[in-house]
Amino acid sequence: MELKFDNLTKEFGNFTAVDHLNLTMTKGVYGLLGVNGAGKTTLMRMLCTLLKPTEGRITCDGKDIFEMDGEYRKVLGYLPQDFGFYPEFTVKDYLLYISTLKGIPPAAARKRVKDMILKVGLSKAANKKMKKLSGGMKRRVGIAQAMLNNPKILVLDEPTAGLDPNERIRFRNLISELSEERLVLLSTHIVSDIEYIANEIWLMKDGKLMHKGRAEELIHSMEENVWECFVEKDLVSSFVKRYKISNMKSEMGGVTLRIISQEKPFENAVQAEPTLEDVFLYYFGEKAGDGNGAV
Amino acid sequence: MVRFELKKVFSRFKNKMAVVILCVLMIVVSLLTMNRVYYTDENGNHTSGMQAAKSLREEKNQWRGYVTDKVLKKVLKEREEIYQTKEVLSEENTKEQDKAYAKTQGISSIVEMINTAFSPWRDYDGFAIDRISPEEAARVYERRISNLKEWLDSGEEYFPEGQKEFLIRQYETLETPFYYEYYEGWSALLQNISTFLLMLALIIGFLVSGIFSDEFVTKADSIFFSTKAGRNRAIVSKIKAGFFIVTGFYVVFVMLYTFIVLFALGMEGAGCPIQWDMWRSVYHVTFFEGYLFIVAGGYVGTLFASALAMIVSAAVHSTAAAVIMPFMVLCAFPFLSRIITLPGMCSFFPDQLLDIYNSLKESVLVEIGGKVMDTAGVILPVYLFASGVLFPVLYLIYKRAEVK
Repeated sequence: MELKFDNLTKEFGNFTAVDHLNLTMTKGVYGLLGVNGAGKTTLMRMLCTLLKPTEGRITCDGKDIFEMDGEYRKVLGYLPQDFGFYPEFTVKDYLLYISTLKGIPPAAARKRVKDMILKVGLSKAANKKMKKLSGGMKRRVGIAQAMLNNPKILVLDEPTAGLDPNERIRFRNLISELSEERLVLLSTHIVSDIEYIANEIWLMKDGKLMHKGRAEELIHSMEENVWECFVEKDLVSSFVKRYKISNMKSEMGGVTLRIISQEKPFENAVQAEPTLEDVFLYYFGEKAGDGNGAV
Repeated sequence: MVRFELKKVFSRFKNKMAVVILCVLMIVVSLLTMNRVYYTDENGNHTSGMQAAKSLREEKNQWRGYVTDKVLKKVLKEREEIYQTKEVLSEENTKEQDKAYAKTQGISSIVEMINTAFSPWRDYDGFAIDRISPEEAARVYERRISNLKEWLDSGEEYFPEGQKEFLIRQYETLETPFYYEYYEGWSALLQNISTFLLMLALIIGFLVSGIFSDEFVTKADSIFFSTKAGRNRAIVSKIKAGFFIVTGFYVVFVMLYTFIVLFALGMEGAGCPIQWDMWRSVYHVTFFEGYLFIVAGGYVGTLFASALAMIVSAAVHSTAAAVIMPFMVLCAFPFLSRIITLPGMCSFFPDQLLDIYNSLKESVLVEIGGKVMDTAGVILPVYLFASGVLFPVLYLIYKRAEVK
């Protein structure tokens, strides 16, 4: 299976959310990284036929996905960022309903729902109403519904958002397990999630693809170095203004800074091994003195 | 899939409350309708409701049959005998008058018919019967036609020639003599049914208004539209659910209301002409046929208003906006007509479908392609067709919906 974005563009009035994107996806996990407003959700919505492109097209094995209509959506599983549900439905009813929407025959749907409830660890909550579930449980129902039709294409938009660390790790492992033998597009703010499970990472900014590759490739693509240094508290603000700071850790008598910079920022600075978080900051971050400085 | 759509609708608290309110309204309207039948006993005491209906039925059914010349003369004679005593004629002695009235209840509708026939057009003289001879009374059916002709000739209201001919033809071809028996159950049912149908239509409109927009309101839209059936079969299921709610609720509640009222007040009289209640009606229908016409009009009105509500729901993704639609369609013009005089074209508006009772009573005529007909007869098929068109439109609107 091959999914192709061909000059894909989406505009909302004067705002271009996705800007002439050309990409190809085959089997594997693709991690989509970008700041808020980068166009990740818009891209995913177009991929799920929820939004029509203003320009360009998305093809699945050469066929336009909007023309394929139900045939394309038959192989699609989607977990949106804002996962909505029917509050009065029980987990079981909800999944049975989604099975029906996915065109699964009733007998097969019952079995599949039972299996998925077991797989996501919701056996005890199967007859609970959706409105009574915790955030983590709802996310698990979300992934269960996405997997009901055993999709060849799985689109997960911020699947671990709002989960506590335990739930996040559990969920990440579940996604990793489910992603075998299919095409998964995963978007998140949480860099470590992508680092663990994505085969290829796409960095998006202002609707455009800035970089793509494996984690190591992206790390090597950095043209700057990562430094760690211990500075007095009084000096922190001047460093923040001058450099991209990927981490700050307060300690007795000062602060340990992780700085992204071409040159050595401080005499005592020690070069550190770059991580994907540093890459994220390198591409998307701004020095506190620039723009909104929201890093 | 339809089952889940219905479950979505009826699992919502506000919709459960709407159904409870509808049940309460049905009981209240049924009780009010039942109290429309009055009876005066031999002591002059008045009662209403089920017991009154039972007693009145016994009285009236003694006169069951066709009201021929012979019957009309006999009615006049019977009434004269009852009202000739000094006590009854005394204006102060109301109790005696009530007692006398009690004896005439069996023929009260025939007396009213004679009074109406011998009263000026659009007027009622309750003493007209006292001034006519038995021979004149026997001409009551002819009087109906001659009164119409006199009124048309008077020029009090303008009617084109075609409409005049239509009215006269309808009056002349009405089958006479009228069949008579106790019909008060049907009469009471028809008098209150328009109010009940309006309430029913508004509540049904409320129930269906969230079918399409709630996917957006609950943010379940992303998953819904990304599924295989999300842009085709699932929409058809939503439309089917809406249609089933409209039809199911309408049929069940209309039948319940009808059954309660007729069970309490009696089913006889279904075959009597509606002219017993609506003397000037141009329709050649019995109470039962009139009832079917009213119910059919109400159904088409409810279907049309609900379809519009669903279209708004699908187009603007707002349940609140959709809920307003049935009110706009069914209540705005009747409300406005109480404040200002609305142009004649307003009788083609869908609110008229919920008021077929008044169309049966006083028709608004229209000439289309040289054929004269009542507006009620025009709007019913027109809005039925329009409702049929709205459903494919609804499908297309929802199919093209985007999740932004």
